Amino acid sequence: MTETRDLSLTIEHLTLRKTLFVCGVLLLLLACILLGSALVGSQSLPFTSSLCALAGGSNCGLSSEQQAILFDLRLPRILLAGAVGICLATAGAGYQALLRNPLAEPYLLGVSNGAAVGTMVALVFFGQHEWSRPVMAFGGALAATFVVYRLARGRAGATPERLILAGVIVTTFLSSGIVFITTLMDATRIRSFTFWLLGDLSGTTTSLLLITFIAAGIGVAVLALNARSLNLMMLGERDAFDLGVEVGRVRITVFVAASLLVGASVASSGSVGYVGLVVPHLVRLAFGSDNRVVIAASALGGAAFVILADTVARTIIAPRELPVGAITALIGAPLFVYLLKRR
Amino acid sequence: MALFLCAVMVTLACSSQITLSTPERSLETREVVDEAGRKVTIPVKIERIVSLAPNLTEIVYAVDAGGSLVGNTDYCDYPAEAKQVAKIGDTMHPSVERIIALRPQIVLVSTASQLEAFTSQLGQQRIAVYVTNPRSLEEVFRSIETLGDLFGHSDWAVSVATDLRRRAVAVEVATRSVKPVKVFYQVSGEPLYTIGREAYLTDLVRRAGGISVTAEVPDAFPRFSDEAALAARPDAIILPSGGSMGTANLTAAAALKNSPAVLNNRIYKINDDLLSRPGPRLVDGLEDMARALHPEAALQFGRSPITSERKR
Repeated sequence: MTETRDLSLTIEHLTLRKTLFVCGVLLLLLACILLGSALVGSQSLPFTSSLCALAGGSNCGLSSEQQAILFDLRLPRILLAGAVGICLATAGAGYQALLRNPLAEPYLLGVSNGAAVGTMVALVFFGQHEWSRPVMAFGGALAATFVVYRLARGRAGATPERLILAGVIVTTFLSSGIVFITTLMDATRIRSFTFWLLGDLSGTTTSLLLITFIAAGIGVAVLALNARSLNLMMLGERDAFDLGVEVGRVRITVFVAASLLVGASVASSGSVGYVGLVVPHLVRLAFGSDNRVVIAASALGGAAFVILADTVARTIIAPRELPVGAITALIGAPLFVYLLKRR
Repeated sequence: MALFLCAVMVTLACSSQITLSTPERSLETREVVDEAGRKVTIPVKIERIVSLAPNLTEIVYAVDAGGSLVGNTDYCDYPAEAKQVAKIGDTMHPSVERIIALRPQIVLVSTASQLEAFTSQLGQQRIAVYVTNPRSLEEVFRSIETLGDLFGHSDWAVSVATDLRRRAVAVEVATRSVKPVKVFYQVSGEPLYTIGREAYLTDLVRRAGGISVTAEVPDAFPRFSDEAALAARPDAIILPSGGSMGTANLTAAAALKNSPAVLNNRIYKINDDLLSRPGPRLVDGLEDMARALHPEAALQFGRSPITSERKR
């Protein structure tokens, strides 16, 4: 019942200070990871010259190719990883708070699969319009979210177990949809799709990167604005209602914002699993479960986590590559088991 | 439960019926070792063949056994007669039922991957599965000779292979004196896939007077790093495209836009059907590739009229 104490106004500005402090620390960490990951890759670049170029120097002694590797290939990919991390971790934090379920995660709820089906439909029918991918992915994520939510609501309300079961059902149903679509598509594209389904951050375009960042910004802002209401709703929807929270409106808002986040990330990178599960859990473990802190910290922590995972994915067997989703699952699953055991 | 039992019984009835309706095959069999190292018992006289890959279909026709081909895949579109043959699905998802119903004596498969369950099902029906897995141009020629021998057209197959070898050597001779070109072979651009150590295409690039910049990468078709591709500074990019690839793979990957190949506009589209099917037309692909990489050497080799006649 620590949340009830948070209600008192005297602690209000303390929370703000704590949030700012946590964000400052995480921003510093993120900056270090950003810089570090920009300096390693399948091609080794001269250290000081790269540092100089990254700092904005114009004549650092990098060849035009090294310049292109650093700025055209490596940095956009790192930025996309960051955006995807922000999206998935924040969406996970939002679902967990709203559904009062520690296991709620875009991947496990089937929301990622909904977005994946949307993206594939966009690719099959509107292949030449790039913007159709995030739009359809958003639609797919939203549809999956509402179906899961409706399935999970029994007469006794939505129990955590019901929710997870509903997620499993929706996930498997949509997986068969994905198999159906890949079978319909011509053979030469299937290989790239199986890679994409596991999460692939390479070959992004500026417009897709921009869309992902805009979606991340909007989604995080909306969730952060609803953090206080989410705190109250963690006490129970009825109690929150009695305390003056417009439960229905908050629920819809959070669902839409989280779907936007998942849709944008899946459209640009496929389904990267476990991010929405691991990052918010680590954040809560470190900084407590006040959603005002958790949402902001998950955004920054998620970016750091996916950037780190993708750096491993693109360097560990260089010059070949692994899908980033394999790495997040490899780090995420054991960590999650450890977290569960510690409880 | 009753329904399930019923279904099982119907299935059993069907399969036994098919087994019974199979005419007594010639009792004479022989044992051969396929390219995956498996021992396969096949009839001496083969009259019913099913091919599960377009390159194998092309080989069957090249060794003059096309008349015995009773089934092939949706992708088998060359030569034109191959389109009229009964279809059993595609290479990845063949329909076992349809194959069994065609009563083949031998099923030809390219590479052994993903086919264990499938092979044992066919084995129960006493249908031999022969696996081919060529890793170089020479191994493709040997596949042609071996399959020709299996179908009793050994002399014909040897003469086809000899002719193909002669053409391949002519290309090699023509490109021997020129400086090899550093080639990036782009299997797909997004995500980036290329050819590695185990691909027969690496051998093909070398014979065409090129050096694949990814020749030492493990695997046949590795997922490749964007940075490493650019850093390899390829002088030419080969895009297998067109043919059954449709509109896929028509542009060089964005990652390579600052590579010497793109800057000098040395991007060569070569019909994918000639390159991705390790069969008799691979030599056509070799000639096209050598012509693309070395326009100056192109005059010194070419298809002889005899060859093109035989191809028909």
